[in-house]
Amino acid sequence: MASKRIGIESSLGIAEAVKLANVDVIAAYPITPQTHIVEGLAEMVANGDLDAEYIPVESEHSAMSACLGASAVGARTFTSTASQGLILMHEVLMVAASLRLPIVMVVANRALSGPLNIWGDHSDAMIIRDTGWIQIFVENGQQAFDQVLCAFRIAENRDVMLPTIVHIDGFHATHVIEPIYILDKKTVSEFLPPYVHPNPLDPDNPVTMGCFAAPNLYTETRKALDQAVRNSRNIIDETWQSFGTLTGRHYLPIEEYKTDDCDTLLVTMGSFSENAMIAVDRMQKAGKMVGLVRLRLWRPFPTEDVLRAISGAKNVIVLDRHVSLGGPGPVCSEIKAALYPLEKRPQVVGIIGGLGGRDISPENFVSLVELGLEKIKTGQTGEMIMFGVRE
Amino acid sequence: MKNEIIEIRWHGRGGQGAVTSAELTAMAAIHEGKFAQAFPSFGPERRGAPVLAFNRIRYDRPVRERSGITLPDVVVVLDPGLVTLIDVTEGLKPGGTLIVNSTRSVEDLQQNFDGDWKLAVVDAGSIARKLLGVNIVNTTMLGALIKATGLIKFESLHEPLEERFGARAKSNFEACKLAAENTVLSQITTGGLKTRRSFAVEKLAKWQELPIGCVVKEAGNTRSFCTGDWKSQHPEWDDKKCIKCGICYIYCPEGCIKQQKDGFFRADMFFCKGCGICAQECWTQAISMVEEA
Repeated sequence: MASKRIGIESSLGIAEAVKLANVDVIAAYPITPQTHIVEGLAEMVANGDLDAEYIPVESEHSAMSACLGASAVGARTFTSTASQGLILMHEVLMVAASLRLPIVMVVANRALSGPLNIWGDHSDAMIIRDTGWIQIFVENGQQAFDQVLCAFRIAENRDVMLPTIVHIDGFHATHVIEPIYILDKKTVSEFLPPYVHPNPLDPDNPVTMGCFAAPNLYTETRKALDQAVRNSRNIIDETWQSFGTLTGRHYLPIEEYKTDDCDTLLVTMGSFSENAMIAVDRMQKAGKMVGLVRLRLWRPFPTEDVLRAISGAKNVIVLDRHVSLGGPGPVCSEIKAALYPLEKRPQVVGIIGGLGGRDISPENFVSLVELGLEKIKTGQTGEMIMFGVRE
Repeated sequence: MKNEIIEIRWHGRGGQGAVTSAELTAMAAIHEGKFAQAFPSFGPERRGAPVLAFNRIRYDRPVRERSGITLPDVVVVLDPGLVTLIDVTEGLKPGGTLIVNSTRSVEDLQQNFDGDWKLAVVDAGSIARKLLGVNIVNTTMLGALIKATGLIKFESLHEPLEERFGARAKSNFEACKLAAENTVLSQITTGGLKTRRSFAVEKLAKWQELPIGCVVKEAGNTRSFCTGDWKSQHPEWDDKKCIKCGICYIYCPEGCIKQQKDGFFRADMFFCKGCGICAQECWTQAISMVEEA
């Protein structure tokens, strides 16, 4: 394995990974809310550094539609979007999953209107939760680079054949220049076998894709798709193991940080986990036994791993960077649902924060944990708790 | 009858008005102060394809059921051809009522059925053609329903028919009345000469059997889809009048009319839906549409 350490914006690091994956087709809508990911790729294609079709379409709905067609003929296909762009794609995301097309997409997680706000949070990711895409969250540019390569290998595996999203926090991660180890071409081509669609669109062997299913068949198609998403877990594990062996960078569906002997655990997802780690270091130094559990794999939801990580704790504080208006935070409600069958459960409190680009600094995380523990102590865990709101 | 829900299943073809029959029945029942539902079987709506519509009628309590009807008390068949094509009596309760539009006699028709049911037969097609000028029997068959079951009253149909058909309400009402007068009632029983017909049952895949992405690999498999089942009439050519112009071939929307070696044209009955466009377009009136037996 050979790699080169360079200083590069995370978005452009992602573009490097896509180039190394030797994609055939990129379809994207290049205007806000877009990132430098597709801008970088457009430049590579235009300069002849990447031999791929770059399709600049008129909307994100069209971008994903173009990706469907490309992936269906057997082309390795990539796109990227965020925020309003992602929800404009929403309809076609469902189709991509049901057609089992292994498109890889990077979503630079950002807020949704209104009011108009394209700064970072997880609103866009949560809205598309149920689309049937494998969804992986990363915390920094290196993880994004690594997971894009893993995403192609997972998605295109014959036993998986599912579209895959790598979620990276908008601005807090995408727009940051940081050191990234860029793998060499040979290593990547050995790690990533070519994509072969088992029944591609082919004029010589015509097939029909996307036909309708009446009530007497639709349930079976959803069961088959759900099972495919669940079964993808085996290949995800295997891919991350191989990648770890190859690079020394190991990934797990649930990653624990200093959780030994901790009776209080904080659960986070995405780039703010790095701030939370600093907070954990400080709290533990001050003698407070608070550990961190980071959710990396969002779909398929790693229920067993979540239980292993948190069921022994006394207090669990879950951060959601999305408001399910009028309902519980989505990550917290899934954590609670996972815990429900247990006879002895930790106290769980959900906290909403980090919305629309608002920071949760390491200091803030210390306060957030204090707030969570206070709510548990006073038995007020059921209410909607928003962190850092002026009142 | 009190508290019981009476369930009706209507069999027709797309365009024949089975849904209208069910709607008018429900409106009439509601007009009488009863509780009723009318609903279609939701799906792709295609003229000529077998379709279903349903009613629930209850005398003194609201109907809460929101599911399909599988064990009807009454089955009404608008299209005579459906009797041999699909199992119209599927799930019909013992002692239930079967009402069929047919030119065939009761004695002849009961050969097709195997069960203890009341059978009502009327040649609704002739009545509709005579009084309404079209072969659409939805309102006409309401008369047969009233005669066979008494579930609704004739008077209750006035308002719904008026609302639906305006100036044509009167002739529809007359067709309905005449159908009631001409409906022949009899009782049929199981056994005897009657044999249970076997109808094709679609084999549905288990989820494990679905191909990845539900891809259909058999290109052109619509060739095995017998749209010819949809027709209630078929074209017949009088070769003496035919000038071999091919206008029927050009206009056939199904593309099922072909020129033979002798230069005359014929339709492939496996695909012909009986739309009658060829007969309409033929310059020399060489094509006539003949009712299916």
